[in-house]
Amino acid sequence: MADVLAPETDLREPPRIATLRTALAIVLLLVLAAAGLRLSSPQRVAWIQTFFVIFGSLVIQALPFVLVGAFAAAVIEVFIPVGMLERLAELPRPLQLPAAGLAGIALPICECGSVPVARRLIRKGLMPSAAVTFMLAAPIVNPVVVASTFVAYRSRTSLWTMVAGRFTLGLLVAIAVGWVVGHISQEDLLKPDPSEEPTAAVEPERREPRWRHFFLRMGNDFLFMGRFLVLGATLAAVVQTFLPSTITAKVAGLPILSILVMMALAFVLSLCSESDAFIAASFVQFAPSAQLAFLVFGPMVDFKLGALYAGTFRRGFLRTVVVAAAACTLVGTLWIQVIWG
Amino acid sequence: MSGSPPVRNARPTGRSRRPHRRWSPGRIAGASVLGSWAALFWFLLLSGRENLYLSARTSWVVPVGAVLLTAAALGRIATVRVESPEPLRTREAWVMGLMVVPVVLIMVLPPVTLGSFSAGKRTAYSGAGFATSVGNIVTGELTLVDVAAAQTSKEGEQALAKRAAEEVDFVGFVTRYADTPAYEFMLTRYVVTCCVADASVAQVRVVNVPPGKFDVNQWVEVKGQIYPLGREVIVNASDITNVAQPERPYLTP
Repeated sequence: MADVLAPETDLREPPRIATLRTALAIVLLLVLAAAGLRLSSPQRVAWIQTFFVIFGSLVIQALPFVLVGAFAAAVIEVFIPVGMLERLAELPRPLQLPAAGLAGIALPICECGSVPVARRLIRKGLMPSAAVTFMLAAPIVNPVVVASTFVAYRSRTSLWTMVAGRFTLGLLVAIAVGWVVGHISQEDLLKPDPSEEPTAAVEPERREPRWRHFFLRMGNDFLFMGRFLVLGATLAAVVQTFLPSTITAKVAGLPILSILVMMALAFVLSLCSESDAFIAASFVQFAPSAQLAFLVFGPMVDFKLGALYAGTFRRGFLRTVVVAAAACTLVGTLWIQVIWG
Repeated sequence: MSGSPPVRNARPTGRSRRPHRRWSPGRIAGASVLGSWAALFWFLLLSGRENLYLSARTSWVVPVGAVLLTAAALGRIATVRVESPEPLRTREAWVMGLMVVPVVLIMVLPPVTLGSFSAGKRTAYSGAGFATSVGNIVTGELTLVDVAAAQTSKEGEQALAKRAAEEVDFVGFVTRYADTPAYEFMLTRYVVTCCVADASVAQVRVVNVPPGKFDVNQWVEVKGQIYPLGREVIVNASDITNVAQPERPYLTP
């Protein structure tokens, strides 16, 4: 069983253990930081004020979705029998990736939430490439995202191009990336995170009841994902605070460049897939194909996801996903541009 | 029972039969982080500050987040006593401390909103996708969202042009650019569809302004006649008064 694999021999120094003094130092620093912020009033500086508001809004909006994702991941880990997932693996190989992608319809989770779920699925024995397909497709094909895309474009002539195009292209790109990831093993794909190492601080005890196991898993995943969300939100807020929108507007008329720019913008803005259609719809100067690139690429790769992937998967995975997802999205949206204009 | 263990002479006490549980530092740290985030969401909910970060459309996230985070924190607290407590690594402890920093930032700093600094950096509001507001432009009371929507569609521009010289009443904050004359300012309001990260700008140029009377970022109520000139909309102010920042500073389309 994967969970009881012996750890690799580690000749490094044993990790330092936190003491009561460490805890007190952290609390003291937090109190000093709070007092310092209160006394210095940094929000009087315009750019700091802008940064705080954007950073706060990103974190406040996304954090509950991360928790929902952690909840779903914990349900899968604790309550869903392995046999159910094995059924997916029993499908003929060509069908496994599409089936994994379509399984995303059943879980209304955003991209932050899909990462811990995918990690859990891999830990539970699902083929890694199928789990990656699920992870990339679920934030695009789930009913909440389809509904939000419909609402955002409901009065446009491009309504069905956007709704059906996003669903179909998102699914195809996710399958393609899963295929590119190929027959990689669990150990080669996943990075061990501190809470899952055998020496971990918060591993459930063997005799603990399932409800305790559930809350522990949910908390672990939330804490693991939450730190990367905070990091990603910080980067996104910095960029949003200083990048003038006029720069992007200038390239809207250039066919391929406009698609690449919208993909880059989606990467930088790091929006939740359940809300990004409203933003994409506001870029009327861009063609539907460029907006579609924003809606397909963004939920697969962005600042905060980059941080999440880097913390979850081994080196090289992020590069593979960025290159494969960008290439597939570009080709797909160019075809849509040719067909529908 | 045939399978029962042999009875010993010494009667076992209740204490010896129950597993001895002790506090787990790692679980306590995790519960503290979850609890602090839950406290932040309750704080936002009770203080009404969620309006400074989210649109009316998505503010439901805050009560839901408060309940879910509280449940997660309580569930975690229920697991903090274990038979063999695991040590918490120093690095992990500091990372958990860093996760509380956003909580401190949001709770300690006074309420702030996007101001003039962002107006030139954010995209103009596009009314496309909200075509129903064109109907509002023709007949209803004009809002800044209607005006902004009209500026980005031909039908909207035409509908708004028909209402030239009508009286309007807008609330927004004062924005000035390098080329804004002293007797004018841009009345600005952000339109937020989801959270402040997607804020776009709705603006009208206000003329007939007493020079030097209104500071940048000051919230004002402008009454006057509206004059749409192509993609720009001008309001000839008849009355401008300072007002408090609205409870919901951002508009929702």
